[in-house]
Amino acid sequence: MKVMERFTGGRGPMLAAAAVGAVGLGVTAVGFAVDTRRALFGYLFAFAYWAGIAVASLLLLGAWHASRARWPVVLRRMLETMAATLPLFALLFLPILVGASHLYPWLGEPPPLSEKDLKKLEHKRAWLNQPFWVVRSVLYFAVWSGVGEFLLRWSRRQDDTGELKLTQWQWWLGAGALPLVGLAMSFASLDWLMSLEPLFVSTVYGLYWFSGAFVGALAMLTLATTLARGPNLYGELVNDSHRASLGKFLFAFSVFWAYMAFSQFFLIWIANLPHEVPWYVLRAKGAWEPVALFIVNARFLLPFFVLLSRPFKEHRRTLAVTAGWLLLAHVVDTWWLVVPVVSPEGPRVHWADVSAFLGVGGAAVAFTLWRLRGHATVPVGDPYLRESLRYGG
Amino acid sequence: MSAETKVLDSWVLAEFATPDALVDATRQMREKGYQGMDTYSPYPLHGGSEALGLPPSRVPFIALGGALTGIVTALAFQTYMNTIDYPLNIGGRPTFSLPAWVPITFELAVLLTAFGIFFGLLGLSRLPQPYHPVFESEEFRSASTHGYWLSVPTAETTVKPDDIKNQLTSLGATHVTVVTGEKE
Repeated sequence: MKVMERFTGGRGPMLAAAAVGAVGLGVTAVGFAVDTRRALFGYLFAFAYWAGIAVASLLLLGAWHASRARWPVVLRRMLETMAATLPLFALLFLPILVGASHLYPWLGEPPPLSEKDLKKLEHKRAWLNQPFWVVRSVLYFAVWSGVGEFLLRWSRRQDDTGELKLTQWQWWLGAGALPLVGLAMSFASLDWLMSLEPLFVSTVYGLYWFSGAFVGALAMLTLATTLARGPNLYGELVNDSHRASLGKFLFAFSVFWAYMAFSQFFLIWIANLPHEVPWYVLRAKGAWEPVALFIVNARFLLPFFVLLSRPFKEHRRTLAVTAGWLLLAHVVDTWWLVVPVVSPEGPRVHWADVSAFLGVGGAAVAFTLWRLRGHATVPVGDPYLRESLRYGG
Repeated sequence: MSAETKVLDSWVLAEFATPDALVDATRQMREKGYQGMDTYSPYPLHGGSEALGLPPSRVPFIALGGALTGIVTALAFQTYMNTIDYPLNIGGRPTFSLPAWVPITFELAVLLTAFGIFFGLLGLSRLPQPYHPVFESEEFRSASTHGYWLSVPTAETTVKPDDIKNQLTSLGATHVTVVTGEKE
């Protein structure tokens, strides 16, 4: 049996990601000065993409603990580390906190709306006001960061001590925190994204963002697992069955995303109400229509047929390419959620979109690698690790 | 055909102590050239299909057929009824409104896929099969509780049943017996 030592490599990729992150964030800062509103929307899109994946990682980790899952133990350290990037995202939230009045029409100057709509907006003031919005955002990060930190630390502590009670603690916290973490994600989607168009109402919105981000987290984990090959990296221990199961997860949640996307669209389309329909008129009619069609095909139809086949799911390269493709489709999807508000005339990529995406992403990847280094990349003290390594299913 | 002229088939049945022993023996018997063998275990046998050398299952294709039938039927029905046969103006929407067709299409596709899998599997397994000569063996009943069994039909080989029995015993069978009878 192979001996797993602490992971000491990955210095090069970490520094490269940090450099990309620094340059990206620097360029975006210039964007804030030059074209404040547009750059902030680009930043919000990038933030929603990467932070969404981090929160979804925490939810997946919690779900694994809640179900006492044994097969994914070999993959768990990577997921724990991805979920433990949330303190970084609390820091990266600052530009949105500072620039909120440029993003949200319910803040700052009264938007050019009819008297009736302004009255409606006034009615929402009890929820959509700056102090409460800030308090809620702080609360979300407190919940996510706290749960993520404890789960990672307990798991690492078990590496050294092998204490069985730590497994019990992780099960309790992981499962017990699921409702809180999930509700925080749902409310965050309303506060940060849906309130860009404060008159729009959709109860599916939180689930839409969650389902997309969940596919993103699974795809990121799959891609990381495929790339994590080398001395002391957990990718070496992953077999066909692990890959097939990751593929099944990707398949199931791509279908779940489609179910959510269609539920939201169908209800709004069939009800045809004036405060709901504009959201889709903007995004699925006219200039943005091709983007909407691309998302449906890229996120659902294509992966549906590719991931049906077990040999494709087991095949390392095919699965990695599919995961990469899903991550890309999630980029377009998140962009389509945020940017039409500031660019109603059509899908135009602003350079700040790119720089913010690379900036936030580079920082997140560098932070993940930094937290991964110096520790074992599999939870070596976990009592179910052996069972996970023998997984055949 | 009268009962007297019916050909009687016979099977050599062998019980093994563990699933691994059964899979191993199955593989070795197949390598010796025996055909038409089958394994029996109280739960799905890991590696059993591979040991028997079974071809890939045809169930997925039947399922796909069910799904496509469901999709086409649902779309055709709804279009015929709502657009051609009895068009109604509902809230000013076009009489051909694909989004409204989706729930029914999805449900019918799922239903016919499930039927395809269920009845396809039954059909391919030649079930229901109320009688098979192996039921005559009292020991064979353990296949549904704790036994791991292999059946070797003698009809498709020239090896004598006694020799098959000896081979199975040397492969670790704990119990070997021969049943003879008529399948249906």
